[in-house]
Amino acid sequence: MQTIKVNGRMREVSSSLDTPLLYVLRDELDIGSPQFGCGLAQCGACSVLLDGKEIRSCIYPVSLAVGKEVTTIEGLPDRWAMQHKPAPSKGALHPVQEAWIEQQVPQCGFCQSGMMIKATELLESKANPTLDEIKEAFTTSGPSPHLCRCGTYIAIVDAVRYASTLMAKGEA
Amino acid sequence: MEQLLEAMTGDVFKAKLEAVTTDVYGARLTRRGFVKAGGTLIVGFSMLRGGVARATGRPDGNAFDASLPQSWIEIHPDNTVLYRTGKSDFGQGTIYTAYRQIIADELDVTFESITTVVSADTDTTPEGGGTFGLLGEGTPNIRKAAAYTRQALLQLASQRLGVPKEQLKTIDGVVYGGGKQVSYGDLVKDQNLQLTIPVDGQLTSIFGLRITGDPPLKPASEMKIVGKSYKNSNISSKVRADELWVTNVKLRGMLHARMVHPGTLGSHLVEAGKVDNTKFPNTRLVVKGDLVAVVAPTEWEAVQASQQVASATKWTEWKGLPGTDKVYDHLRNECDWKAAPVAKGRKNKGDTAAVVLASPRKLEATYRLPYWKHAPIGPALAVADYKADGSVTVHTHTQNAQALRGQLAKMLGTTLDKVVVKTYSGAGHYGRSNGGNAGAEDEAVILSKELGKPVRVQWMRNDDMQWSTQSPVAFSDVRIGLTADGKIAAYEIDHFMPAMQDDRMIGAVIAGLPTMDAPSEKGRMLDSISNGPSDQWLYDAVPNLVERAHGTYQIGQKSSPVKIGLRDHSMRTPGQFQQNFPREMAMSEAAALAGADPLQFRLDHAKDERLIALLKRLKEESGWEVHSHSAPKAASTGSGVVRGHGVSAMLRSGTYWGCACEVSVTLSTGAVKVDKSTFVVDPGIVVNPEQLKRQVEGGAMMGLSIALHEEVSFNESGVTARDWYSYPILTMAEIPEFKVVLLHRPEVGNMGQGSEAANALGASAIASAVFDATGSPMRQIPLRPEYVKKMLDARNSDTNAIPPHHDDSSDQTKPKSGAPAASTL
Repeated sequence: MQTIKVNGRMREVSSSLDTPLLYVLRDELDIGSPQFGCGLAQCGACSVLLDGKEIRSCIYPVSLAVGKEVTTIEGLPDRWAMQHKPAPSKGALHPVQEAWIEQQVPQCGFCQSGMMIKATELLESKANPTLDEIKEAFTTSGPSPHLCRCGTYIAIVDAVRYASTLMAKGEA
Repeated sequence: MEQLLEAMTGDVFKAKLEAVTTDVYGARLTRRGFVKAGGTLIVGFSMLRGGVARATGRPDGNAFDASLPQSWIEIHPDNTVLYRTGKSDFGQGTIYTAYRQIIADELDVTFESITTVVSADTDTTPEGGGTFGLLGEGTPNIRKAAAYTRQALLQLASQRLGVPKEQLKTIDGVVYGGGKQVSYGDLVKDQNLQLTIPVDGQLTSIFGLRITGDPPLKPASEMKIVGKSYKNSNISSKVRADELWVTNVKLRGMLHARMVHPGTLGSHLVEAGKVDNTKFPNTRLVVKGDLVAVVAPTEWEAVQASQQVASATKWTEWKGLPGTDKVYDHLRNECDWKAAPVAKGRKNKGDTAAVVLASPRKLEATYRLPYWKHAPIGPALAVADYKADGSVTVHTHTQNAQALRGQLAKMLGTTLDKVVVKTYSGAGHYGRSNGGNAGAEDEAVILSKELGKPVRVQWMRNDDMQWSTQSPVAFSDVRIGLTADGKIAAYEIDHFMPAMQDDRMIGAVIAGLPTMDAPSEKGRMLDSISNGPSDQWLYDAVPNLVERAHGTYQIGQKSSPVKIGLRDHSMRTPGQFQQNFPREMAMSEAAALAGADPLQFRLDHAKDERLIALLKRLKEESGWEVHSHSAPKAASTGSGVVRGHGVSAMLRSGTYWGCACEVSVTLSTGAVKVDKSTFVVDPGIVVNPEQLKRQVEGGAMMGLSIALHEEVSFNESGVTARDWYSYPILTMAEIPEFKVVLLHRPEVGNMGQGSEAANALGASAIASAVFDATGSPMRQIPLRPEYVKKMLDARNSDTNAIPPHHDDSSDQTKPKSGAPAASTL
């Protein structure tokens, strides 16, 4: 039995140590937003934050997550509440989520959990990224580009910029 | 087949009350009495996810009767509205946005009062049909259902208020007249009312049922909700992590399966590998025919065990495919184009062959488009729960749940009422499941039946690349003759494409179980090998025109010992993409031959007012700088980066599309970068500007991906693309400066379409921009650097391959003697 911290809670897991974190999150912990896209770290649909850095959970053994904090989009509102002073109103979404809704980003949405994770990672390190920095984050910063088959890249750029302004204003 | 079915709904309070039936525009409104409580436009049933098959007594086993409007729309006593559609959502959001807006306008209720959308599940929706063409060229089923319902409500109000129907008006769910008013909710409260509406079609066909008759529809000028931007409620649930994805469906006792698919697209099983139970103690092997799978209680064990079993499983060899490098040679020289009748364009006129021959300047060229994968970001997945009584519920993500249900019943040799298909959000797959299956559904059912437990089958990335269908390869031969003053005297185009719609369930085929027929010459519409003219002709000033479409069997379909081969399936803008690219690229090449600007050249050959207005607007919005293209700007020995612009146009589903692209080409490498792209879209009525804009952007980015990157690689045995490195798609770094202009033209009356067509326009605009920049025509996509470089180096060698002549009856695809063979660049 291992214990990992997911979205602020300590969770016991019984999966074998070599099990990719994705299957542990989805099948054992009922956290359904990170998706299986390729199992090869080539698309980003399974991305989660591990101590604030994006990892591809489809190839990441759960053993390596012990002692670290995993954040999925289920945990983004709480993450924002912890980071933001004064605390936002109860039930408030993370600015990235607000922006994703306001800009109507997802189409099929299967990749968007990973896209929001990447946006959160980016905006936590660069409050006001340029267009090139946004493109760089989603294309070359990780193990592979974050792929969207529906072609929502333009909407994602719009939403990252919008989220940046929300975070600067301390709204959401 | 006109159905006027009747069904009693609700509990009759006074059993002997005479039924009163009146006519509502061909529909029949019946009042049978009163119910004890609640509203009688509500059918009592539960809507819980994961429900089981409901015995209904209807011949097709459907719980919802499409001839009853309450199967489509429920008016609740609190004046809220629920509606149902057989369509599912594949990310365009239409069923949550445009459909609600259309219903709201036709019913005269607010957008917000439509509180519930029930979609696609076979046991909770009435209509069936594939999720495509959702606006149905202006009149989706749901619009008529709403129109019938409003008329019935008006009739009821007339009786209730004692005011003639003509003197009533409806605003926001309330009927006013004669100084009195009554809400819709009050009209239906405690009543047992039934409106029977006419429908035709077949529930489990690709098109499903269609509401017929002509209830009065609201003219565009009176629409208040259509035309405004409303947000998609489904986006919110996905972003908030509230969505129940198909990937999240879990049933008690469910097992995880992974497939061990055959070694080639023509293999039989020789021997299945044994599970190493020391490593995988809980794994079971299942073999049925050539179908091999491993099943385990956990996903990770199933994944690992499947790899172990796959490495020990033996298959017969098969090498019957031409391979990517030889595919166009194979198409022209090996395929039997006599097998299907030649289809002719509707606007064909004149003797194009003679006119082209006599023309002082002519373009004779061949254009080619490769196989593409639908390439969903998540691979195929389904959960099946087969019960001892022979019923099965399948949880999946399909564009056509009723068609899948029909196919599964056929595979099982059972009746429709035994099968329920439930749909959930999942990875979009752009046409792959419009005939029912996307892959994995049949395998889940086979395994669940075999094991007597719920089974979840998820394909791995390589399964999805190698065992799904693909968009078919195609080529077209074009001949254009110009007059001395540079106008088109004759235009002749012959399109060649193998069968495009193989809806057989692959697991059933592999297991040797019944499924629908493979495409053949005996097939009718959707299982035929015929090709049809799909690209509506736009340039009506051209005096002589011939368009022909030639079809044949899928590559490898007949030679594969298991009759599989390369299975094709419609994908966004199916068929029309394959025909529009050659047409539009040839238009740009003809303009160059005439020394004309390609946008002006199109205008010079247009008569249609909407097309002319669209092209003029495109010119303005894209900042198009007119220049004649008589001399190539880049020398063959050039270096550095050259820029060019290109244009394309299309008419699809009543929507006019125009696209202008600006590109940079690096001459030393052949790398193409799209710098700017402008889309102008005239769908007639723009139902929801914000959603349409996002749809166009998305479609256009997919189109950019197809234009620059996508081609399915295959060898003699099967598809060799197996992941995102061997089938690359567009990344964010490549997005250009992008502009969408929507032309809202309510006077047209038509509601056009969204993301289809957007994906198809870019390729020809980009290819013609590269031509403009370099002087080398690009007659094939994808415009990968190696192809572009080859074309630059070859300096028009492709142009020299004169295509053979064709006629209405022949299959003369082979070059006439003396003419050089078509290249396979």
